[in-house]
Amino acid sequence: MTHTVGRLDRAAVDAAFGRRVDAGTALADDANQVAAACHAMAARFHRGGRLLVFGNGGAATDAAHLAVEFIHPVIVGKRALPALSLTNDVAFFSGLAAAGAFADTFAAQVRLLARPEDIALGISASGRCANVAAGLAAADDSGLLTVALLGDGTVGDGPDIASSPAVAHVIQAHSSDARIVKEVHVTVYHVLWELVHVFLEQPGLLGPKVIRS
Amino acid sequence: MEALYPFLYADQLDVEPVLRAVSVSTADKAREIVALRQQLAGHFADTLIACAGDMADRFTAGGRLFTFGNGGSSSDAQAVAQLFLNPATGARALPALSLTNDVAVLTALSNDIGFEVVFARQLAAQGTAQDIAVGLSTSGGSANVLAGFEQANRRGMLTVGFAGYEGGRMAEADTIDHLFVVPSASVHRIQEAQTTTYNVLWELTQLAMD
Repeated sequence: MTHTVGRLDRAAVDAAFGRRVDAGTALADDANQVAAACHAMAARFHRGGRLLVFGNGGAATDAAHLAVEFIHPVIVGKRALPALSLTNDVAFFSGLAAAGAFADTFAAQVRLLARPEDIALGISASGRCANVAAGLAAADDSGLLTVALLGDGTVGDGPDIASSPAVAHVIQAHSSDARIVKEVHVTVYHVLWELVHVFLEQPGLLGPKVIRS
Repeated sequence: MEALYPFLYADQLDVEPVLRAVSVSTADKAREIVALRQQLAGHFADTLIACAGDMADRFTAGGRLFTFGNGGSSSDAQAVAQLFLNPATGARALPALSLTNDVAVLTALSNDIGFEVVFARQLAAQGTAQDIAVGLSTSGGSANVLAGFEQANRRGMLTVGFAGYEGGRMAEADTIDHLFVVPSASVHRIQEAQTTTYNVLWELTQLAMD
């Protein structure tokens, strides 16, 4: 039986799901970048670093999701790790936006709140959000580990974050559709959370500084 | 240093195999969610079409969308509201509100009554019979989400639920008009599949309103 409501039919559903396959499959090819980011993040957590996460719009909701993932693990027995979503502070955000300083939002927070041992993780579905780029640059200046979850960078006219020398670990979803990019990012940050713990459970893998402490 | 204390560095020699194992695990999870999504296209097709049609009717009649959930699902609720309210790509913007946005309301209700009423009381105050309630819970058992659905249903709102595993108490509730249960045992894959499902639901709702 074929259901049709207006222009809706099974073909529209299949087309919508079908458009997601390539970007989802491509993530498997980027597994080494994800693994390297997990290792570096685990080393920072082991040194007492915290995770600062930021993004705009839909990515702001991902930042909140990522922070709660680390702070309150859904899997019983995993330790809580310090994480903070920078868009939680609506007063700060609307204050800077009203003053015409929106491009400086994340950078200002990083300069004020971050410590050198921390991790800055910026999310931009376009890969070209100016305030995310500035936040990552400020983080790199302050000695933070920098990680970016990005789209393919083919839409938007902001700076291309993937080619920024300030970003140590770039993980790109291979799509220009912000919704498909978000779906890949959700898998990426779930994997980041899970596999950071693999390294934390074997502290011998996290470098000489750890062993000396 | 290493020459003096080789035992301090011995463990580090093992990092490469662990990195490789972590890479393999990442690739496995990527393929797992792709397969789950493909399974859902058929599994959810009829419900998606009916739900998008009903949501389009509500929006056309002037209804608004209220979204709610806890923890990661609260960020998904915000993402759903954001998707309808501010679609970046020239699509139609529609009225939507996440019920976890207002920290004053959340803390007031939790402090004075209890956390289980935080969504129901907001829906009682704001909801009308034209409106839509979308609630998300990976377990399907969140008490405040279930109470939200009860209130929304009582007010005549269209109710849409997202759950995981086997749907929990949401699958037994008679207060949810359209329910999407992601059949996975992994809370992470459930959330990832829910994200795709609400994105597709948004797309079909837009299509129905064209």
